[in-house]
Amino acid sequence: MVSTYLGGKPVRAMGGFFAMSLDTFVQMVKPPFAWKEYILQSWFVARVSVLPALMLTMPYSVLLVFTFNVLLTEFGASDFSGTGAAIGTVNQIGPIVTVLVVSGAGATAMCADLGARTIRDELDALRVMGINPIQALVVPRVLAATTVALALSATVILVGLSGAFFFCVYVQHVSPGAFVAGLTLLTGMADVIVSLVKATLFGMAAGLIACYKGISVGGGPAGVGNAVNETVVFTFMVLFAINIIVTAVGIQFTVQ
Amino acid sequence: MTATVPSRLHPRLRSTAKSVVAEWNRIGSQAQFYVKTLTSIPDAVINYRTELWRLIAQMGLGSGALAVVGGTVAIVGFLTITTGALVAVQGYNQLASVGFEALTGFASAFFNVRLIVPGTTSVALSATIGAGATAQIGAMRINEEIDALEVIGIRSITYLASTRVLAGVVVVIPLYCVAVMMAFLAARTGTTAIYGQGSGVYDHYFGTFLNPTDLIWSFFQVVAIAVVIMLVHTYYGYNASGGPAGVGEAVGRAVRTSMVIAAVEIAFISLAVYGQSGNFNLAG
Repeated sequence: MVSTYLGGKPVRAMGGFFAMSLDTFVQMVKPPFAWKEYILQSWFVARVSVLPALMLTMPYSVLLVFTFNVLLTEFGASDFSGTGAAIGTVNQIGPIVTVLVVSGAGATAMCADLGARTIRDELDALRVMGINPIQALVVPRVLAATTVALALSATVILVGLSGAFFFCVYVQHVSPGAFVAGLTLLTGMADVIVSLVKATLFGMAAGLIACYKGISVGGGPAGVGNAVNETVVFTFMVLFAINIIVTAVGIQFTVQ
Repeated sequence: MTATVPSRLHPRLRSTAKSVVAEWNRIGSQAQFYVKTLTSIPDAVINYRTELWRLIAQMGLGSGALAVVGGTVAIVGFLTITTGALVAVQGYNQLASVGFEALTGFASAFFNVRLIVPGTTSVALSATIGAGATAQIGAMRINEEIDALEVIGIRSITYLASTRVLAGVVVVIPLYCVAVMMAFLAARTGTTAIYGQGSGVYDHYFGTFLNPTDLIWSFFQVVAIAVVIMLVHTYYGYNASGGPAGVGEAVGRAVRTSMVIAAVEIAFISLAVYGQSGNFNLAG
């Protein structure tokens, strides 16, 4: 009996997650839409994410162009450092930093907030009043995470490329014209679109996982802490998996 | 009856100054906590050895729902498989577009060691053992268990924080090995089995450019990151406040702080180690 319970738990959690996701997608298109909650949540996620995103982009893009330039200087091709920076930043650093920040900053805060409401039985109170918590709380949060992830990835790419530009030009003495000219050599519109698609999927997945973990919390303060911990781990795992799959599919369209 | 109080001079200036001072004091208390944690490590080894062993076992295997998906080792392994496979997917195709796909093995030896493994491991560490430590210590703080520890004469920082920092460093050694192996394996499998490059070509360039010195530096990078991540996470857990939601918020804040600090640390260690010479020689 005990062993079947242990074996059933992750499967049941999986089922619960898909059930909630389905509910969320159904409720998304059903009026009324919780506009106020959506705007408040978008503002909230943006507020907690922007600063960490920028702080995280800078070191990663500096590290990237530095490592690339070690290589390119050896080939005698440091004029192409812009190309390396564009490939790395647009295709990988942009979406991955967005992942890290959306799940590390946005999703954790969302899960903590929803979890605290759950253990204070506020969700049951909503149900008693005839309000569907999925429609009132989960849908706006998932959409807010999606919107902010999309916006954030664009910001991250811009900031990452500017950071790379300043590092290359002023620290490693690459000619600025060559850097800018190299940017679009291998990276085009298709790469940017794939990158934005990735970010949108990341935001949606992170929002769904955070909300599911938040509304299924049990067991007091330790429970909320563990739920947030699990949110971080599961979002990272899911998002890294999405990243490799979307990259593998997207690369068929972007590289000729 | 109402009593009127005249407003004080320069209220805005005062509140700004107060927040600046509060921020300054927070940095000070944080530094104090870190110094105390680090200097108490010998004490933890001598007096709290049982707790130390328990934490090492728990961090390696994971606890609660994380143990169900295979524990810390499996999570770190999974994350590095996905990022290592990026070398195959992105590297192979990008190099193929300029006619250099033979060099994918080189890309694996170079970028996995210098960028991908330290980056991914730092993220995985802060998500698994780091966030777990914040959640545990935070819940203890909220339930006033830390005060209880102090009352029964246990040095709480030593018992909770120093042991975790040391356990984190011990656990990261096998974790790093798993991470590097998985990243190399994923890159090789992706390039040879999926994109169909000859394994001889791959292995030749991989073997030629795999630099043992780089690997050792990358290992030390990861150990240094583990120390900083555990310090940040134990601090946020130890100072959690505000009920159940407070624990969750502390976990979130700890994760984003430690990720930023780890990224800065990786960048600076790389600049310090490879900045002068690059430690790279194409001609062999």
